[in-house]
Amino acid sequence: MPIPFPELWSWLETQPLAEHIGFTWWFPFLESLHVVGVGLVVGSILMVDLRLLGLTALTYPVSRMTKELIPWTWGAFILTVITGFGLFMTRAATYIENPAFQIKLIGLVAAGVNMTLFQFKTFRQVPNWDADAVIPTAGRRAGLASLALWIIVIFAGRWVGHII
Amino acid sequence: MKDNIANALAESPAREFAVYLLGNVPGLPPIAQSLHILAIAVIMASAVMVNLRLIGLAVPSQSPSEMIQRLLPWTFWALPVNLITGGLFVVARPNRYFYNPVAEWKFQMLVPVVLLAVVLYWMNAREPGYWEASHTRRNGARVIAATSLLLWLGIVLAGRWIAYTDYLYFLYE
Repeated sequence: MPIPFPELWSWLETQPLAEHIGFTWWFPFLESLHVVGVGLVVGSILMVDLRLLGLTALTYPVSRMTKELIPWTWGAFILTVITGFGLFMTRAATYIENPAFQIKLIGLVAAGVNMTLFQFKTFRQVPNWDADAVIPTAGRRAGLASLALWIIVIFAGRWVGHII
Repeated sequence: MKDNIANALAESPAREFAVYLLGNVPGLPPIAQSLHILAIAVIMASAVMVNLRLIGLAVPSQSPSEMIQRLLPWTFWALPVNLITGGLFVVARPNRYFYNPVAEWKFQMLVPVVLLAVVLYWMNAREPGYWEASHTRRNGARVIAATSLLLWLGIVLAGRWIAYTDYLYFLYE
């Protein structure tokens, strides 16, 4: 598959900010914050997924757990997007062609779609099963899919640096 | 003592084995590193969440004592995963890690943070609700939690910086 917008990626890496990040301590600085963010994103999602799967925290209603954890997930996600974009722009044209990076992006989109479907289909009936240990199959499937997708994102993300 | 351990490791068959594994098992370095990050995510979801709860920042509806009892075992299981996946690289290149100042900081932060988690867990296991039983204990738990949070943050940041020690010297200049 041809890479869309090839000029955009080459343009991005010649930006002064991209060069500054790439050639200074900014790169490891952003990268280390990226790992903190990834840990919090996946950690907070993991807690919800395990609850959806009926494995942990069964005494807490699902809606309460998601409500209290979502600010952490989104806050950390914004941190990973900002730091991740900073890292990406240093070698944008190379990263965009990197198969591990492509898998990571697909995994992220799939995780987002999975979350949205869960939010607007299964979660709408949450009052019916909020406190149940075993929630409807669709909810458990969403939890399992989320878990698998985020593990793929982590593996693909770590693999990016081994391919370049 | 550090020199002795580094030298002993460098000349040990364990090192040869680790080098062999990392070089010959397809994809082992990124696999071990990815598992290391996954175990970090588990620690974020357990010890870090417990600490955030104790200082009143996260999951207000969950009980601190119940969280300590339910979540800290996840931390105690994640730590050996980190030890094995990280240890593989240390055993393979002991001199790279033993004489790296950032790696040293990481371990100096790791020992107290694990001890603090053990204290939180142990006292609560002996007497459920221990950390919520009095004003003094609640404050004690807050101090432990705030200290632990800073240490965990430092550990994760340092872990990534081990590979970039050169930049750090550049910063000093």
